[in-house]
Amino acid sequence: FPEMSHLPCLCWGAGAGQDVGRSCILVSIAGKNVMLDCGMHMGYNDDRRFPDFSYITQNGRLTDFLDCVIISHFHLDHCGALPYFSEMVGYDGPIYMTHPTKAICPILLEDYRKITVDKKGETNFFTSQMIKDCMKKVVAVHLHQTVQVDEELEIKAYYAGHVLGAAMFQIKVGCESVVYTGDYNMTPDRHLGAAWIDKCRPDLLITESTYATTIRDSKRCRERDFLKKVHETVERGGKVLIPVFALGRAQELCILLETFWERMNLKAPIYFSTGLTEKANHYYKLFITWTNQKIRKTFVQRNMFEFKHIKAFDRAFADNPGPMVVFATPGMLHAGQSLQIFRKWAGNEKNMVIMPGYCVQGTVGHKILSGQRKLEMEGRQILEVKMQVEYMSFSAHADAKGIMQLIRQAEPRNVLLVHGEAKKMEFLKQKIEQELNVSCYMPANGETTTIFTNPSIPVDISLGLLKRETAIGPLPDAKKPKLMHGTLIMKDNSFRLVSPEQALKELGLAEHQLRFTCRVHIQDPRKEHETVLRVYNHLKGQVVLKDYSVQHLPDGSITVESILIQATAHSEDQGTKVLLVSWTYQDEELGSYLTALLKKGLPPSTS
Amino acid sequence: MTRECSLLLPRVCAALADPRQPGSDDTCLEKLLDWFRTLTEFDPSVKLVQDNPCLTEFITSVLTLPEPSPSILSFTLRLAGILAASESRFQHLQEEKLLVTLFGKDGPLNSAVWEDASVRSGWVEGVHSMMQHQPALHFICNGGGIDVIFALQGDPSLFVASAASRLLVHMLVLSADSETSKPPSAKDCDWPECAQMIIKHIEDSLQSSSASHVEQSLKLLTSLFGSCRSTWTEVLWLGIAKQIESFLTEKTFQVQHMLANLLLNMAWSPVFYESEGSFWALVTSALEHLTPLQAGPLAVGLLRLYKCPQDVRIQALTVLLQPMDCILRAASQPLEHAGLLDESVSDPATVESLLSSKSSCAGLLCQTLAHLEKLLGLIHLPVDLPYTSLLRSLMTILQFCNGFLSPASPLGSTISRILINCFRVQRSALDVLAALSERVGCDTLIGNLFDVLLAYLGSPNTSPTVLKKTFQATSKWLVHLHEVSRSKSQWQQTGKILEDVFLVLQKRLCSPCWEVRDSSLEFLTVLIKRLRDQDEFRQSLLSSEVPRLTENLLEDPESYVRASAVIAVGHLAFVTYFAPESPVVANQCNKENTVAKLQEILSADPEGFPRRAVISIFTKWLRQGCTGPLEDTEQFVSRVIQTVECDLDWEVRLGGLELAEVFCSQIICQLGPPECPYTPISSTVTSSTHQNKLLQIFCRAKLFGFLFRSLCDCDKPVGQRACDTLLGLRGSFYPISTLKDSQEAWDSPAGSSIAWLQRTLRQGSLAQNFPSDGGNRVDFEDPESMLLALGTIDLEELHDELNKCSDHVEKSPESLLQDILATVGTVEENEADCY
Repeated sequence: FPEMSHLPCLCWGAGAGQDVGRSCILVSIAGKNVMLDCGMHMGYNDDRRFPDFSYITQNGRLTDFLDCVIISHFHLDHCGALPYFSEMVGYDGPIYMTHPTKAICPILLEDYRKITVDKKGETNFFTSQMIKDCMKKVVAVHLHQTVQVDEELEIKAYYAGHVLGAAMFQIKVGCESVVYTGDYNMTPDRHLGAAWIDKCRPDLLITESTYATTIRDSKRCRERDFLKKVHETVERGGKVLIPVFALGRAQELCILLETFWERMNLKAPIYFSTGLTEKANHYYKLFITWTNQKIRKTFVQRNMFEFKHIKAFDRAFADNPGPMVVFATPGMLHAGQSLQIFRKWAGNEKNMVIMPGYCVQGTVGHKILSGQRKLEMEGRQILEVKMQVEYMSFSAHADAKGIMQLIRQAEPRNVLLVHGEAKKMEFLKQKIEQELNVSCYMPANGETTTIFTNPSIPVDISLGLLKRETAIGPLPDAKKPKLMHGTLIMKDNSFRLVSPEQALKELGLAEHQLRFTCRVHIQDPRKEHETVLRVYNHLKGQVVLKDYSVQHLPDGSITVESILIQATAHSEDQGTKVLLVSWTYQDEELGSYLTALLKKGLPPSTS
Repeated sequence: MTRECSLLLPRVCAALADPRQPGSDDTCLEKLLDWFRTLTEFDPSVKLVQDNPCLTEFITSVLTLPEPSPSILSFTLRLAGILAASESRFQHLQEEKLLVTLFGKDGPLNSAVWEDASVRSGWVEGVHSMMQHQPALHFICNGGGIDVIFALQGDPSLFVASAASRLLVHMLVLSADSETSKPPSAKDCDWPECAQMIIKHIEDSLQSSSASHVEQSLKLLTSLFGSCRSTWTEVLWLGIAKQIESFLTEKTFQVQHMLANLLLNMAWSPVFYESEGSFWALVTSALEHLTPLQAGPLAVGLLRLYKCPQDVRIQALTVLLQPMDCILRAASQPLEHAGLLDESVSDPATVESLLSSKSSCAGLLCQTLAHLEKLLGLIHLPVDLPYTSLLRSLMTILQFCNGFLSPASPLGSTISRILINCFRVQRSALDVLAALSERVGCDTLIGNLFDVLLAYLGSPNTSPTVLKKTFQATSKWLVHLHEVSRSKSQWQQTGKILEDVFLVLQKRLCSPCWEVRDSSLEFLTVLIKRLRDQDEFRQSLLSSEVPRLTENLLEDPESYVRASAVIAVGHLAFVTYFAPESPVVANQCNKENTVAKLQEILSADPEGFPRRAVISIFTKWLRQGCTGPLEDTEQFVSRVIQTVECDLDWEVRLGGLELAEVFCSQIICQLGPPECPYTPISSTVTSSTHQNKLLQIFCRAKLFGFLFRSLCDCDKPVGQRACDTLLGLRGSFYPISTLKDSQEAWDSPAGSSIAWLQRTLRQGSLAQNFPSDGGNRVDFEDPESMLLALGTIDLEELHDELNKCSDHVEKSPESLLQDILATVGTVEENEADCY
């Protein structure tokens, strides 16, 4: 039975989501253990940021316990704990992800490592070398490529949209399978296509449910809104700061601005503050097949990622007069470049900062998003934020409609909801159960869900046995299952049903007969042969036995099919006769019936 | 608690208790609890609750809510537990009947919200926090709470179940340690009441027919014996030993795997080491009865013990070595090699059957190998391992895995068929092989060993991860080989092996797989680091194509590979250009060429890793004095720091500062300190000449501009490093007593610009970039100004500011409280977002 357990996330929420949690799920399927994602929680600076892996196995080595780790995409809440897991906790087994994820993961991990180094006193964090060593253990997979992890376990990646390289994974052992969606979206956006999976009918579909109840407004509206705000600010001579992580959202927004600038013939400079853009854009070019059709089509005429208007930022530019747009890392105004520019520009109401993603508590980003306008800065300075603060969510998750659509596509037997808020998940769960008639689960963190499957195991049957068995009883009927008797031989990973005789022959075994014996005491002072005759007559008179052959043999015993009845006098009490009843296991029912019948005693003698 | 916090707290409490407000971010509540923990940790008084009545009011108001949110209720339970951790606050909360209402029968535990795992978890954690004194113990034990904890041991949530188990251990220890005047003895099991309840529960569970109850108790005992070393644990053990023993022999329940852990924890406790016979007899019995997979962890744990009866140790060793022995026997022709073990002490049937089964073979081997690696990693190994046989066995496994050995024996052929291409086993075996190189006594097999290693290095079937481990093992054994080869014939052997190694390395450096190229370069660097002084090594290396191929990889498309190539090329230079007696004549042109290439990477590579590698190599060269005479070095450093100053990668800038620091200390060393504060009569003339010379060198190298501007770097570690270096420099120029009074100094001609610098740094290091026109105001190349700057600018103040973590303001309690208040009423939409 595949056993799902939602793994140790020390944040205790009803679901994994609520706050920006992290994904880490352990699936046991037909004896194989697979870890799905290995995310970190950015809201903590201590042990709580990583899952507590000691829950996986108390005394065994993780490498021995886990058959593989699969990473769905490069966001840190899905892959951030991976170097910790493989280089510090000591997991040394295979790790799978798609090619773009493998290429981009280290950039984001480096990005985050920098933030932690910035915060002094942070311990237990991985180094650059560890990130590299971890990435070297990763096996990159292509979409729709069936990868054999070992002889029994195979995995296959499907396109998930969401971010470049994001994939859903099908995990299969024998005839049992699980699909893990990771994060996905069912509508194409500016640079990525929609998620797609074939009708693989898994036993279980584990799906994210971030927007479980929402029907999202079109992303176009949000994009229009974004462009409008940027345009207005630049028009009035203000500066726009967009704090981002080096990859993902940043590229999407770059395309958006680039095309808008081109169309409107705008002159204000757009800068990207980190040296990582080049690398990032390099990957978007390299993995052009992962982007959406429009980008692929236009690629021949013009590479969308070769930006004409977006240039590298120099630290001195921040003091330049006049309007500009700057993308700067890190994304939540934790520290570093983005925070430095923010401090310079915050005091001017003409300027604007746009936060294109979630900010954890403990960052300046979180403060300004919650509306705080007087911020205490280092050195007891008070920074008055006069610039405009905007939040724009560009995250690409499937909404309720999209989740239902995916379930219809894959046709799973069971659905498990993760990465969402309890109340919203409850709503979606009901919807799935009612509309699609599929069992749905939503375990809390740390809870194990067990799904029972009906594995159909193919078995070969010998023609002789098939003919013999079909000859007995009613004619074959497709609607009525038929019970067959035979011997199951399991050899070299195959199953065969053969007749007992053939099995004996093949395996070189001698046949043994197993007979059950029972003694029944009867009060009858007559001679043994007379008692036997009385028994014989009694049995002959039974209506139930009229279709059976009841015989009185010359040696003084009675047979009813394979059942043998013999009578002897009791050694101590001549008035008592002992009936010895024996039968083979095939006639168990008849044997029991006769024993019960004889135990009731014989009818009074008529002679 | 600061005044600001105590002013904010009532509003925060009111906001949290307000059911109309959307739930606060989980992390905020967690951090709030962290804060209360630090507040209460060293202050047992009631002052906190008395001064902040909002806390008890908050608890009361949450309790009166008809439908409190699970997260707030869980928070309340944990908060109450933290507050009740001191006896006086416990009494205070008891008087207000808060604890009974929260943790008693009429509280959340009998309401619908108990269904939520976070509430149950909050309850357990709350109880655990308060469980620091006897009144809390009695409150829970007499109020029925203990039964709730017993039940929670079987909770569907992994977290709740294990927290309940930990809590019971804590309560048992608290009760048994503190509630009795004399320790209980085996004769009169006079346990305190609470301990009695828990012990009875353990005993009953162990005798129950439910497997899960038995498991829960075993878990509890394992953690008890693992953490508590009091003598009463032995008394407890005597009462349950028979029952535990029966699990081992009767096998009614599948709990054997848990016994290994339990016994191991006990073996580590001094209480049981001293115990008479019976405990160790049970351990011996466990080693016999458990399957090899279950007994493995126990065996390795016992072997790491210094105090362990010899016969137990031998038996543990037998368990551990049996699979290795089996491998050896399976591969040997009759009588060719003895196995590892004397057959009289071991019955190999079980291990043989496990090894000949497809499903268990790799698992057993991997586990055994991991245990051996663990043992070999110990500096002082309490047992002697048969290293030569072990090595032979490892080589056999590796040959099974690559198909080089398929013995005729039925067992051997079965195992070799199972193991062929098994990466898991290959990786584990290579790890052990690397660890084994540190142990002496395997020299006779070295030729064969390198045959095996070279086969792996050369085979196209070797996976990148296996190859990396092969490189690691090979480098370790090459170093070992070098250490042991004393005679001429051995040198020849070494030479041949090195030749072969470089031949395969050449091939691997051209692999299409970047992981392989990178591991190959890392391998090369390790070899050069360890063997660069050896003639045979240098000859083999330089006569191969490896140096040329390595240089080519400086232009690799993968940045990780370029970085490794930079490091390898940097180390190669020690063998070629910088070697005093290099076998090839140092080629000045090549040297300049290489330096130019690295400079080019430093200034133009689009990615950080190669640039970081270059700066680290340059620093290494400088440290080792390879950068030529003083003038050359000065120019070199000047060029490098000007390049890195504008680098976008903070680690490159940091590397630049390290280079600058090394340069400073080297120059000061070469020219002698500018002035020694301990010299009784300082010669003003000499010292000032000295000082001037030093200052001139630093100014010419443009060092001061780099250091002062770095103080304002947007990435804090860079500022910190620059400040440290400047402080070091100041120490060299100014003994502490002679620091100038800044006001006085600023009146000097250069003074006004330095005063400006001081002001700028005060704001700039914390708030903004170094002003771009700053260079015009301060002449960083003027020795006099710089001497003044070093003497007057308050570097200590800067140092203190820079050494605070970058989010120290944001993570202060005050800031947290403000954040919670600020989020009240905001729309929650952004919470569903991802990073």
